[in-house]
Amino acid sequence: MPWAVGVCAGLHAAGSRHVVYVPDNPLSHVLRALRENYPDVETTIATREEEAFGIAAGLYLGGKRPTVMLQSSGLGNSINALTSLLVPYQIPALILISMRGDAGEWNSAQVPMGRAVAPICDAIGLPHATATSPETTADTVALVAKTAFATRTAGVCLLPRRLTVPASRVGG
Amino acid sequence: MTRLDATHRLAAALGNDLVIASLGHPAYDLFAAGDRDTYFYTWGSMGLASSVGLGLAMAQPDRRVVVLDGDGSLLMNLGSLATIGWVRPANLVVIVWDNGLYGTTGGQDTATAHGTDLDAAARAMGISATATVKTLAELDHAMARSRSQSGPWVIVAKVDESAPAVKPPQDCVFIKQRFMAAIGVPEGGTQGGPA
Repeated sequence: MPWAVGVCAGLHAAGSRHVVYVPDNPLSHVLRALRENYPDVETTIATREEEAFGIAAGLYLGGKRPTVMLQSSGLGNSINALTSLLVPYQIPALILISMRGDAGEWNSAQVPMGRAVAPICDAIGLPHATATSPETTADTVALVAKTAFATRTAGVCLLPRRLTVPASRVGG
Repeated sequence: MTRLDATHRLAAALGNDLVIASLGHPAYDLFAAGDRDTYFYTWGSMGLASSVGLGLAMAQPDRRVVVLDGDGSLLMNLGSLATIGWVRPANLVVIVWDNGLYGTTGGQDTATAHGTDLDAAARAMGISATATVKTLAELDHAMARSRSQSGPWVIVAKVDESAPAVKPPQDCVFIKQRFMAAIGVPEGGTQGGPA
């Protein structure tokens, strides 16, 4: 299945019915696939990524399994929310990060944060996995979410450009 | 009125409401007014109390959710008013203790001491149910209106700073688990089948 449909299938299989997000171009494909295939998933757009994590924390406190979608640049806007709310209170969320600044990037302003995403996740204690192909995306997303909610630790699934931007691949 | 006086008055009217308290003095005063399992005290993430309240109000549409924010905190996350004004959860009440100061950090002025009007900001972002109150009687009246007229509500309470004497529990996981148990939802989330 297409990678974006795989993202939806994975989060849905893990029981998430609420997606809070700040959009970027690749994530627009996920949003479209959600509308077309999973109308029972509610979406809420936030003005800024740290706000999205605040909303997600409230959803969890109320008994839901939230997903937060953001571009890698927005991780920089989220660090205080993650380190002083989700991590110390052990509030889980499925975090889907659409990567910029990784292989295939053309915009140098995206590269420093893109390079920093995995080290930041390691530094603040967020486990992360990467969806490497359309065929394995649903499973990767579902497994990250399963572990996140079962162990009460927010978990990150990285969506690299070689997955989300076919034109960045040779022959794409 | 001082923030502590106003918090005591408010707490008497909360009943079974779920409360998200912004870090620092709003949380300290809420605890001083009498601790309850239905209170969630934040110890960080300045500015996000109203966002947490929004998510909780969406997840628990049959419960009333009251956020105790500060003027300095809300100024850090004004976009939250735009999102609340868009989603419009009828069960959300945001109280802003507006003392014109960053009280927890030593009393530096906030923009509300120099003309910023958070009530007008809320209305400008699509939240039509708002009030600005300056006395305990006005606070009582606004809270009563928030029960009879659908939200989301933003109530800006002009208060004087009051030094809090006590701090709430500092174990974040305890705060969360107690709160979720009080609502009756399990850890791990419930909607959509097993994790």
